[in-house]
Amino acid sequence: MSTATAALTSTIFGNQNPCNRRWIKISHPQVAKGGRRSFVTIAAASSTGKDKKNQQKKKNKRKEVQEEEKVPPENGETGEVSTATTTTTSVTAIKSRLDEVNPVGLGRKSRQIFDEVWRKFSGLGQISRTTRTDDDEAALLMREGGPMCEFAIPGAQNTTVLVVGATSRVGRIVVRKLMLRGYTVKALVRKAEKEVVDMLPTSVEIVTGDVGEPSTLKAAVEGCNKIIYCATARSSITGDLNRVDHLGVYNLTKAFQDYNNKLAQLRSGKSSKSKLLISKFKSEDTLNGWEVRQGTYFQDVVATKYDGGMDAKFEFTEEGDAVFSGYVFTRGGFVELSKKLSLPLGCTLDRYEGLVFSVGGNGRSYVIILEAGPLADTSQSKMYFARISTKAGFCRVRVPFSSFRPVKPEDPPLDPFLVHTLTIRFEPRRQRPVEGPVAVKQDLRSFQLILEYIKALPTGQETDFILVSCTGSGIESTRREQVLKAKKAGEDSLRRSGLGYTIIRPGPLMEEPGGQRALIFDQGNRISQGISCADVADICVKALHDSTARNKSFDVCYEYVAEPGKELYELVAHLPDKANNYLTPALSVLEKNT
Amino acid sequence: MASILHAPLKLNLLHTHTSLFCRRPLAISSPPHFHSSTLTLKLKGRGNAATITCNAQPAPAAVNLAPGTPVRPTSILVVGATGTLGRQIVRRALDEGYDVRCLVRPRPAPADFLRDWGATVVNADLSKPETIPATLVGVHTVIDCATGRPEEPIKTVDWEGKVALIQCAKAMGIQKFVFFSIHNCDKHPEVPLMEIKYCTEKFLRDSGLNHIVIRLCGFMQGLIGQYAVPILEEKSVWGTDAPTRIAYMDTQDIARLMFIALRNENINGKLLTFAGPRAWTTQEVITLCERLAGQDANVTTVPVSVLRFTRQLTRLFEWTSDVADRLAFSEVLTSDTVFSVPMAETYNLLGVDAKDISSLEKYLQDYFTNILKKLKDIKAQSKQTDIYF
Repeated sequence: MSTATAALTSTIFGNQNPCNRRWIKISHPQVAKGGRRSFVTIAAASSTGKDKKNQQKKKNKRKEVQEEEKVPPENGETGEVSTATTTTTSVTAIKSRLDEVNPVGLGRKSRQIFDEVWRKFSGLGQISRTTRTDDDEAALLMREGGPMCEFAIPGAQNTTVLVVGATSRVGRIVVRKLMLRGYTVKALVRKAEKEVVDMLPTSVEIVTGDVGEPSTLKAAVEGCNKIIYCATARSSITGDLNRVDHLGVYNLTKAFQDYNNKLAQLRSGKSSKSKLLISKFKSEDTLNGWEVRQGTYFQDVVATKYDGGMDAKFEFTEEGDAVFSGYVFTRGGFVELSKKLSLPLGCTLDRYEGLVFSVGGNGRSYVIILEAGPLADTSQSKMYFARISTKAGFCRVRVPFSSFRPVKPEDPPLDPFLVHTLTIRFEPRRQRPVEGPVAVKQDLRSFQLILEYIKALPTGQETDFILVSCTGSGIESTRREQVLKAKKAGEDSLRRSGLGYTIIRPGPLMEEPGGQRALIFDQGNRISQGISCADVADICVKALHDSTARNKSFDVCYEYVAEPGKELYELVAHLPDKANNYLTPALSVLEKNT
Repeated sequence: MASILHAPLKLNLLHTHTSLFCRRPLAISSPPHFHSSTLTLKLKGRGNAATITCNAQPAPAAVNLAPGTPVRPTSILVVGATGTLGRQIVRRALDEGYDVRCLVRPRPAPADFLRDWGATVVNADLSKPETIPATLVGVHTVIDCATGRPEEPIKTVDWEGKVALIQCAKAMGIQKFVFFSIHNCDKHPEVPLMEIKYCTEKFLRDSGLNHIVIRLCGFMQGLIGQYAVPILEEKSVWGTDAPTRIAYMDTQDIARLMFIALRNENINGKLLTFAGPRAWTTQEVITLCERLAGQDANVTTVPVSVLRFTRQLTRLFEWTSDVADRLAFSEVLTSDTVFSVPMAETYNLLGVDAKDISSLEKYLQDYFTNILKKLKDIKAQSKQTDIYF
């Protein structure tokens, strides 16, 4: 070790005091030991006419030394070597050997080694100072995860999130959180003004558009996987509320669905976003298997004598429509159209989350009945029903499986896997006259239903659309009704959209750091406390990849500490922290599709 | 803020060899009551330990002249945001919902990653005090985790800059000031950086600002560049044979605990020391890295006596004093201290579970598994290209 030490000390002197030591000798024992070429480099001595007393700073010295190195060699050493080698074998060998002894190269090499050694040596005397890593390198490491990054989420890199209302109190924090976690973020802004752009991180893609203008949203949803909607009207003018809180949500869900459908079409029905066709009524023979039945809920002997009875038929018209039409004048009577489902091989309805009907007609409401049970023994089948209403003219109606209720209350909830028969029933009860000019002279007991297709809606594991709504507490009472009405309408249009949704209704927002207090997740208007914007943002970001958050609406606020004995409901409180995922356990107890 | 007052900052540098005497009034704005503070920085030269004394007489009941516009409690300024600790603090703050402003020196390659995370970047230089006040407008809390770069003279940023920053913060009514210092800095006056940190602590205390001082031991992140990378690259690793143990800590944990402390009003004005769960010697760290990397390191052990000797020697000359300062920690290394502190009380105070603090083994293991996996991927890729091209 003593030789190495000696070499080291000499290097240090060499660097710091080059004036009296023009002959720098560096030996690097480690490199030599490693079997590589050992560098015993000789820096060419230059003129010794340096003024020793005029000592300058290190940097200046370095420059001078480098300049000196660039001076072409004139000393005899290289000359000797070159003359000696020209007589020998090949030119390349000469060149390589020339390079080895070229004072310029040697000087550079020695300088490199020297700097390295010096850096390491002086680094030894450090405790709290760390070697500065290159900024880009560190940033790269953080983006790619690893120990540098506690925020990294596996799915983040392939996910593009559109944030609507990115400059709002919640949205601002949402954007930052998404950036920290490595998501690709798009932000929808009304005007790309400088102060708006300055508020957002530099790599956020800014899309100019207005949720009130459906035409501007097409570009915004392009390439997005998920949407977080935290925009809200800036005033309580009804028009504004309607535009942002209701129609805004509607327009955006529509644009997003259109985009998803386009993707599904591009992949010819093979994508996970594609729907499953159950029936398409495009020709005469597609009506096969559908049978028309009639029945009554109760036997009324007297009434049947005077009632006009009922009749229904399902036929393919000359215009090419499959029409189910008829009338029911009998009290308590109904007519229905029923079919045993035959799904393509390998498809089961449990991979789907609902049905979509594309229908036209005169706007009556119908009851959809699903029979579920083992195919072998249909007598054990259980019935589930859901009511749908149609519009006059054509429309598409989505019915999630979760909205089906058992006919007998004691039956278990519907398992889509077991569904074998689909029935569309018309009954004159609870029909509402259609609004508008068609309403003149309606007989609510007659109906016409033009069927175009019935499809099953694909399910997803995660939520597609997160809406930050509000609970209504904390708004002054004069405008609360108005605001809530618009928000409610927006929530409803999202639920009907067929997208996987998460609706978060926070209590009054507070501007304070998040993660400090326990949160309550609840359904039903029982929220009394506020919540910090940062916590709402955190819930949004966590909900993106949480399967329990799909199709849920919930209220959230800070924990309220009730006096003992006065608790109204069970608290589901979780303190947010980096280590625990509070969202999953909190949401798993809450009901879906409320 | 319009009048520019001369802060009575006297820096008496008595340096026998160089006669670096400077009396430099700082051109910063400060309220009248600040006139009473006096600072003296004495550096006794040539072989003697440099000593710095400072005394700032507390102002007689600071009067808040104008209430001004209330600032949002979520607005913070991070000084030294591009550093190892600073960037973790910025990330943590952004994640917790703070509005973060970063004070960054103007430089050709701007710190884009900070803006990318959503922080605001303002350009200022602590060594140019006139640039500081503008950055403090609308800020509630200042978090100072800056330390001068190794290559620049220790005094400019770490002492003069910090003093100017604290004075500005005081003058502009900053409501909380967090200062990061070094563990045991009061016990090693012979190390210039530690001495300066200790004096800054004192200066901050005497300034009357609401403050928290946090003393740190060592960062795990620093070990990556020092040991882990050279071992992976099969380059030589330099270590000392010093028996000093350092309790390395993850900067992410430091940032987390710092924010918990910041929000806790009971910790106001206190001095906290953060240390990792276990103290390690250099040799132990190298052994651990070797085990995790699955390859032997090329270790060069430099006896501490060499470091000391070099320091003594470099101190002889004025133009090598920077080098001497850099090597000053060799004094700490030779003094056989355990650079750690029991943390149970601090955890209790902050309400943190000791289990949540990451250990060095875990940290390095994560790093190595990640890196080795990546290297494997790259190798697989290069193999494929070999076949096809």
